[in-house]
Amino acid sequence: MTALVHPELVTGREDGFTDAPWTVTPGSTRRGEASCNLTERILEVPLGLDATSRVVRAHELMHARVSPHRIEHYGALDEMAPRALECAEELRINTLIARLDFDVALLRDGSEKNGARRIAESGDWSEAICFLMAVLGTGGEKDFLAGIRSIEPSWMSGLRAVRKRALALMNGLSSSALGATRLNDEALPSGYADATVVLARIVTQSMAARPPTTPEALRSFRRSLEPGGRRPPTGRFASLHFDDTLVMSPRPRSAGVRRARASTSGPTMRYPSRLLTDDQKRAFARRASFHGGLVIIDQSGSMDIDEASLSSLLRRAPDALVVGYSHRPGDVGATPNVWILAERGSVATRVPSGNIGNGVDGAVLEWALARRRNGEPIVWVTDGQVTDSHDHPDDTLTLQCAELVRRHRIRLVKELTDAGRALSVGRTVGRPQWSHYGRLGRKLTEMKAF
Amino acid sequence: MTFIDRTEEPNSCWRDLADVLSAGISRVLLYGPSGTGKTYAALHHGVGNVASERLVCTEDLTSGEITGTWMPVGENRWEWREGPAIRAWRGTSGLGGRLVVDEVDRASGDALSTLLAVTDSPESARWRNPETSEWVRPGPQFSVVMTTNVEDLDDIAPSLRDRFPVSIRIDRPHVTALSSLSADLRAPALAGSLGPASRRVSLRSFYAFDELRRHLGPTRAAQLVFGDDAATSVLDALAIAAIT
Repeated sequence: MTALVHPELVTGREDGFTDAPWTVTPGSTRRGEASCNLTERILEVPLGLDATSRVVRAHELMHARVSPHRIEHYGALDEMAPRALECAEELRINTLIARLDFDVALLRDGSEKNGARRIAESGDWSEAICFLMAVLGTGGEKDFLAGIRSIEPSWMSGLRAVRKRALALMNGLSSSALGATRLNDEALPSGYADATVVLARIVTQSMAARPPTTPEALRSFRRSLEPGGRRPPTGRFASLHFDDTLVMSPRPRSAGVRRARASTSGPTMRYPSRLLTDDQKRAFARRASFHGGLVIIDQSGSMDIDEASLSSLLRRAPDALVVGYSHRPGDVGATPNVWILAERGSVATRVPSGNIGNGVDGAVLEWALARRRNGEPIVWVTDGQVTDSHDHPDDTLTLQCAELVRRHRIRLVKELTDAGRALSVGRTVGRPQWSHYGRLGRKLTEMKAF
Repeated sequence: MTFIDRTEEPNSCWRDLADVLSAGISRVLLYGPSGTGKTYAALHHGVGNVASERLVCTEDLTSGEITGTWMPVGENRWEWREGPAIRAWRGTSGLGGRLVVDEVDRASGDALSTLLAVTDSPESARWRNPETSEWVRPGPQFSVVMTTNVEDLDDIAPSLRDRFPVSIRIDRPHVTALSSLSADLRAPALAGSLGPASRRVSLRSFYAFDELRRHLGPTRAAQLVFGDDAATSVLDALAIAAIT
């Protein structure tokens, strides 16, 4: 004998979701084997007569009652990780059915502890936060936290902080506010917007954060969870997202820069000292035209690009590859954070403005190094600040960049107007100038000292 | 909870019916789940001041119950009593009225052939009164609405169905049928007939539940009306629907 379920009776939405027949398919009480497809109106639920099946059915019916049914949200959700939205919505649904006296303690399938161990063993802090949101308040929460504690006890304080914030957010809203489906200005059901989206934003930034292990890091992490709090440090660069909308147009070629290069033969012996120091005795000078190079421009904060300076650079190095970068702190891929301004003879028709943060310094350097041709010079226009994906300065990331600068003889300049000259002079920034490059300069100084 | 009048939605079956009747279509077939108010609508919608005649089809229905029959009125005296179909043909002052043919899928034999004649096009339909030899034709305002609970129109005789160019599936009650139901039950009652037969909840059940719960409380009322199997599921769904 199986239980009946009545999705058609779950009415009351105010977001244009019309009442229509549903298809009910048999599911189970195991995690992931029950679902509510609002687009196709398919409800997959356990049909057992037991109490657990009933609560799972209530959970899915609550999705049918309050979860969004539209796909398009005018970009309102772009900045959030889909997994964060999914798990925050689980918490909203579980909160609502708990308030209707459904026994959410029954929502556990026994896999929570082992699942938590696997998450902790793989160091997946972001999934730990998401999973916690999905089981928060249910019978699976205790097992999940026990599983995490057994492998990564250092994560517990951070997880508890997120838990506390999530519960405060849900408890601060009445059931009518939490379940409201009237659409707001962004075409989102207001309950979803006021609870799920707010929590998902917090979860998304916490997922990217470094798990707080020291008292100071924990304080900073807790502050980040509060409304208006600064995003917590992540300790890593964001992924690169290129701006594909830029249009490139061919640029009239100029002569480039003629530069003398050491050679074994020539009309003038320019480097006599090489007769003693150079194995190949390249004492003569040979003039060679120079057209290319790589220029990486930090466009964060106040580092605007002057188009005249870019034109001037391209007159000196018409075949140069010029990239600009700046990451919007906390962005998860919706906003491009790197763009090609000039590429081997063509130039972008517009110069994008920066997105406030650095966020991808090291990632851009690595990308550029992979495209370097025949040891061509690389110039990095930077103020010496290196920040993580949430725009926090980070020692480790700064050291990474400093090592790249030293190993690949990347030339540092502070202004784009100096980039052309830096490409042609053939010298990197000397030690006395490192002090002008903030944290990066200090790291370079320390590295030299060792 | 705000009650939303869904009859105004563009795809509402009730709006379809109103549009069809107001456009002057005089042959309409209404079909779909029971308890949605098809018969009520057929009797009252678009009839103006004219009385409607109702005919409920069964396997035992005879043609005499459709067009009329001789009735004894004294010793060796009989009088012809016109049936509902002919009365509807005549209507008020010969202008024609509304004939409602309920459960039309159950009509068979000579009743079916008589229905074919009665529902024929105005140009072809005519009937002779055996008492007065008067030829009777449908009045200009005569209309006929057939109703059935079948989900598949193939279950209706093709020749009969052919007389009804417009078929509308009525899948939910009309909003006016809910006016005396408690506010929290109106929207679920509107949607209760949408699902498959196994989980359909009729408007009559909602009215009974509404009345009973005032006296016995919702749990006992649900058990009595929906049965033990469905009571919990219906109550859970109603509680979730009423979250705001």
